[in-house]
Amino acid sequence: MSERVRWPRSFRPATGPLVAVVLYVAMYLIYGLHASSAFSLFGLTNLLDNTVVLAIAAAGLTIVVLAGELDLSGIGVIAIANATVATTSTGSLGWGGSLVLVLAIGAAVGLVNGWLVAELRLQSLAATIGTMIACEGVALMILSAPGGEVADVIANGLTGDIGTSLPVAALIIAGIVLLWLLFARSRTGIAIYAVGADEGAARLSGLDVRRTRLAAFVLAGIAYGLAGYMLSAETGSGDPRASDSFLLFMYASVAIGGTSLSGGRGGVFGSIVGAGLLTVMQKMLFALGAAEFYTNVFSGIIMLLAVFIGTFSAAIARRPLRRAG
Amino acid sequence: MDAAPQRSPVLEIRAIGKRYGATVALHDVSFELAPGEVCGLLGENGAGKSTLVKALSGVITPDTGEMRLAAAPYHPHDINDARRQGVATAFQELSLVVTLSVALNLFLPRPTITRARLVPVRRLEQEAERILRAHGVTDIDPARPVGDLPLGQRQRVEIVRAMHRNPRLLLLDEPTAALADREWLFALVQQAVARGGSVLYISHKLDEIRRLCRRCVILRNGRKVLDSVVAAMRDEDIFRSMAGRSAVEQFAPAPSAIRAQAAPALRAERLAGDGVEEISFTLASGEILGVAGLEGHGQSALFKSLVGLHPLRGGRIEIDGRPRGMRSPRAARAAGVVLVPEERKTEGIFKDLATAANISLPVIERASPLHLLHRRRERTMVARILPAVDLATRYLPRNIAALSGGNQQKAVLARALIAQSRCLLLFDPTRGVDVGAKQSIYRMMRGFVGDGGAILFYSTELDELVHLCDRCIVLYRNRMIGEVAGAALSQEHILSLAAGHAPRRTGGPEQAAG
Repeated sequence: MSERVRWPRSFRPATGPLVAVVLYVAMYLIYGLHASSAFSLFGLTNLLDNTVVLAIAAAGLTIVVLAGELDLSGIGVIAIANATVATTSTGSLGWGGSLVLVLAIGAAVGLVNGWLVAELRLQSLAATIGTMIACEGVALMILSAPGGEVADVIANGLTGDIGTSLPVAALIIAGIVLLWLLFARSRTGIAIYAVGADEGAARLSGLDVRRTRLAAFVLAGIAYGLAGYMLSAETGSGDPRASDSFLLFMYASVAIGGTSLSGGRGGVFGSIVGAGLLTVMQKMLFALGAAEFYTNVFSGIIMLLAVFIGTFSAAIARRPLRRAG
Repeated sequence: MDAAPQRSPVLEIRAIGKRYGATVALHDVSFELAPGEVCGLLGENGAGKSTLVKALSGVITPDTGEMRLAAAPYHPHDINDARRQGVATAFQELSLVVTLSVALNLFLPRPTITRARLVPVRRLEQEAERILRAHGVTDIDPARPVGDLPLGQRQRVEIVRAMHRNPRLLLLDEPTAALADREWLFALVQQAVARGGSVLYISHKLDEIRRLCRRCVILRNGRKVLDSVVAAMRDEDIFRSMAGRSAVEQFAPAPSAIRAQAAPALRAERLAGDGVEEISFTLASGEILGVAGLEGHGQSALFKSLVGLHPLRGGRIEIDGRPRGMRSPRAARAAGVVLVPEERKTEGIFKDLATAANISLPVIERASPLHLLHRRRERTMVARILPAVDLATRYLPRNIAALSGGNQQKAVLARALIAQSRCLLLFDPTRGVDVGAKQSIYRMMRGFVGDGGAILFYSTELDELVHLCDRCIVLYRNRMIGEVAGAALSQEHILSLAAGHAPRRTGGPEQAAG
């Protein structure tokens, strides 16, 4: 009948991330022109090391946002994970034991969030403010002041390069993207998109809304745990307040990446690009010698720009569809 | 009863009841459904049809009574359980996830997965295409998100989704509400029956019930009032059982109220935009001008463009003979033109507000001296408009979401009327509303044009266009393919034009008198 055209599938990143990639390259070039080390392997590795924590945390948040909920508990989990790694990784648990531990902690906090939201039907914003504050308290109980020690295996092994050419952080980011691409094509991934887009329709379609929400929070918690682990590797020590400034950047990454904060549209890939964008922007401003407060001004502007362009280009992308109908 | 064949029934319902707080949604309802039978379920909105459908499809659990499916106790604890036992439902409110593709929607909740536990999207699309084609649907790309499809196509996807698993009991809840091509559905229902399935067919449309069903059950106020062979009943009997009132065929024709000497209330000249191709028409004061077209032929874009909700590239809109820019619904309202939109649930009502607040919105300033809302003044203003739409005062303080579809629509119409607009654009205002509400809407329309107002009226029900309109323009592929008036204003003629057959010059002048 009508000509068959391949329309973009709903979970493929929209045009928003594309704009972000262009911005990323531009800012990286400016950064490189003012800091000669930027284009070296060392500069690149350093940039990716700085990106990876925010990228993983934003990836986790994205899953909850796609399911139509909000989650503030991420920075609390990161704080606990950081404190835990700083107090246990040099002991008998070692790098592996502490990794398993922080992932389990993340999953547990996610389970609590999911239970509060999916089972008790609390509003996710309110519920996760609660868990965030509680988690920050727990982090202080574990490590009351900056200090502790992160095992060298972690601090050295997860930063820097493999051999002489491959940044570890690049591998990790690639791994997250790969996991995401697989997850987005799993039943749970599709269910998360459906529940976030229209809870009622998802339920009438036979999806288990409760379990889907729960899964989203648990997966996010695990990602936060991993982000906390990476933060420990990067800083080499514990600081229960190190993650305090992350929260808004996590949301900014998600929004810049083109994920709708009302759920159902977007994806993790965009959020990772968003995290990269925010990081390279900080580098650029630092290289330009701009005062620190400009960073916030620029973050805000870029976020608004990305959201604006994302909305705008989504509208353009939809137009030909209407005509064909 | 002789209506039931000898074979044991597929479905037996015994004295089921359901309450929501003080409201009795179902009370002591019993009936049976034989294998291969199509049974009509009739009733006004709020009669309990939807509750019954929800109980059968596992969405809710009845408080009392018993259901048996093929002689075994049937207590579905959720919609998947019902589906596993062979009961599938096409819901009135459509249960599709708009951001997912047609293919994924067809296979929810558990699309097949590969050995790597991934959902093979391409393969599902091919499979979906095959299923759609097997159900006579060839114009829907299964890779497209459902949200990009017009309502009629979505409804077909919803129906195919319920049918393709060959359920032994198929529940169709108002399946033709947005469908232009009803024959497509009728053929499918007959196929399902030929395979031995049974169908419970919920509809407001008597001609559909007569066409498909041998037997029908009528509910009123949650009780069964009639269970009879359709052929043995006259239309009047059925309508009286439902409400004691009848639909548009029974609605007395009235002389045209057109005031030809006045400047036209609304004149559109060569409107062009996305989905609107060179459309011109003139709407006189006192006239009801119908718009007909099969689903997705530009009617939605046309209505939206008239109030600035859809961008226009060219053309000119005149109100009372003066050109007006219609950049927004607000500007249109200022010019006296109000749109009653297509999707009541999302575009028509403010879900969490009281009915009174839903109605008073356009004139809220007048009830708010010093910018503080004066409740009594608001109530007086709203109460004054209610008789025009037959809405009872007791609904005013209630949350509008708690009202039946018909009463919601009356509230939406009251809002359109309250600002003393001169020209109403009604987009399928009687979709999914009960017979009684339809009557009220028809009466409101007549009264409105009788007072000198003008109405542009799109309906998926051709008999409404034929009975209510002075003239009717027909859209085909976003263009105006013809205009019918007078003796030529018949369902058959409109249909042939809407299907793309060249216009005959039998009815009225081709170009509207301006």
